[in-house]
Amino acid sequence: SKSVFPHALCSFFFLSSWLPQTVPFRGSHWETSLLAFRASVPMRAQPKKKKKVDVKREQAQKDRMKKKIKKLEKAAPQLIPIEDFTPLLKYSDSNRLRSLPPLSFEETERRVLLMKKWCFFKQKQDKAEKKAIQDLVEAQQEALKELRLESEELYQAAIRRDEGLFPFERDGPNYTPPLPGYDPPEGKCVDITKVYTQ
Amino acid sequence: AAAAPRPWRLFGAVCLLRLPRITQPLEKEEEEMAALMGQIELEKSQYSDHEIRKMEEEEQLRRRKENIYDDDEAPGKTVIMAQDLEDKWEQKLLQFKAAPRITDADKNNNRTSLNRRLDSNLMFLVKQKIGNQELWLLPQVEWQPGETLRSTAERAMATFLGDHVQAKILGNAPYGIYKYKFPRAIRTEDNVGAKVFFFKAFLQSSDLSQAELKEDYLWVTKDELGDYLKSEYLKKVNRFLLD
Repeated sequence: SKSVFPHALCSFFFLSSWLPQTVPFRGSHWETSLLAFRASVPMRAQPKKKKKVDVKREQAQKDRMKKKIKKLEKAAPQLIPIEDFTPLLKYSDSNRLRSLPPLSFEETERRVLLMKKWCFFKQKQDKAEKKAIQDLVEAQQEALKELRLESEELYQAAIRRDEGLFPFERDGPNYTPPLPGYDPPEGKCVDITKVYTQ
Repeated sequence: AAAAPRPWRLFGAVCLLRLPRITQPLEKEEEEMAALMGQIELEKSQYSDHEIRKMEEEEQLRRRKENIYDDDEAPGKTVIMAQDLEDKWEQKLLQFKAAPRITDADKNNNRTSLNRRLDSNLMFLVKQKIGNQELWLLPQVEWQPGETLRSTAERAMATFLGDHVQAKILGNAPYGIYKYKFPRAIRTEDNVGAKVFFFKAFLQSSDLSQAELKEDYLWVTKDELGDYLKSEYLKKVNRFLLD
């Protein structure tokens, strides 16, 4: 206690010498004493406000938002632009047009004749394909007929649908067979397609 | 169960196809048409950015040659010309060597190899003993009561190629039938002949190293089938094979 006493004296002197300088700094009448700062100054506390005003304000805000949403929904949805169909402006420049000599008479004749030959070729190809499919179906029907003569239950098992057949996937034929031990060059693909939402 | 037993014995056979790996060569009309389409596309198109750049650079070169003291461009600048780019790309293409379309197996006519005739379907044939004859046939086994014909076909595949072969049988129904009567010597009242039902299957993986191939086997195309199969059998088989 003997060691404490001079401390207390010192602190008291400090306080007494300090107070007159701080008295003019008491800005508002809420600052009754500096030591009891927190208790004296009231914070802008919510519970002080009336609850009805809040509820009304929030309700009004919600109604405004709902009205806006209804307006937007009523407007017809904008069509998503198809970027492939709208040519870019830079391609309507006239210096882009090719300058080629006009086609000669022989060339146009050759082209027309070639188109006719192609038409005939494709028609033959199509007919052959359809005939092949028809033959396949006939062969299968004959086989099923014979099977039915043999045993009814085998026939029923045969005409049941094959669940595991579809989806059927196959890698199509390429121009050259795959090269064994080929190391493709590495690269990263960044997708920059624009996605539109209605 | 009360039905009288039929006098026909049933067999299930499978026609295993290895699908083509490369495209077939174009016909003459197809090639001409492809060339014409390319020409029309060129005529209807406009200049691309690369072409415009190339044309402008050629113009600059020409002007520079005629007018040596042209100060439009700073001569110290080293610009990569479009023509240089094209040459570089050409070089890169020439360095790449694709796998040949006609393989070694083609040249040796090795009919047991799967790498032959990559542009057409290959069918699997085995040599089987029927009666007292050794014949080349599509692999077949006799049907046993209690299984469907499709499982008979799967068993036939497993018998001749091992269990690990990856093939997809297309559907439950048979594609064709070959009916024959036994020779008079062994024909009896309830054993008149046999019906062979054919199923089609696609070979999924070309890796047959795990297959246990016991008998003589071949992989042949549709036009080579005639070298091995008997005429009646061949006629029935050809009905359900597309080329």
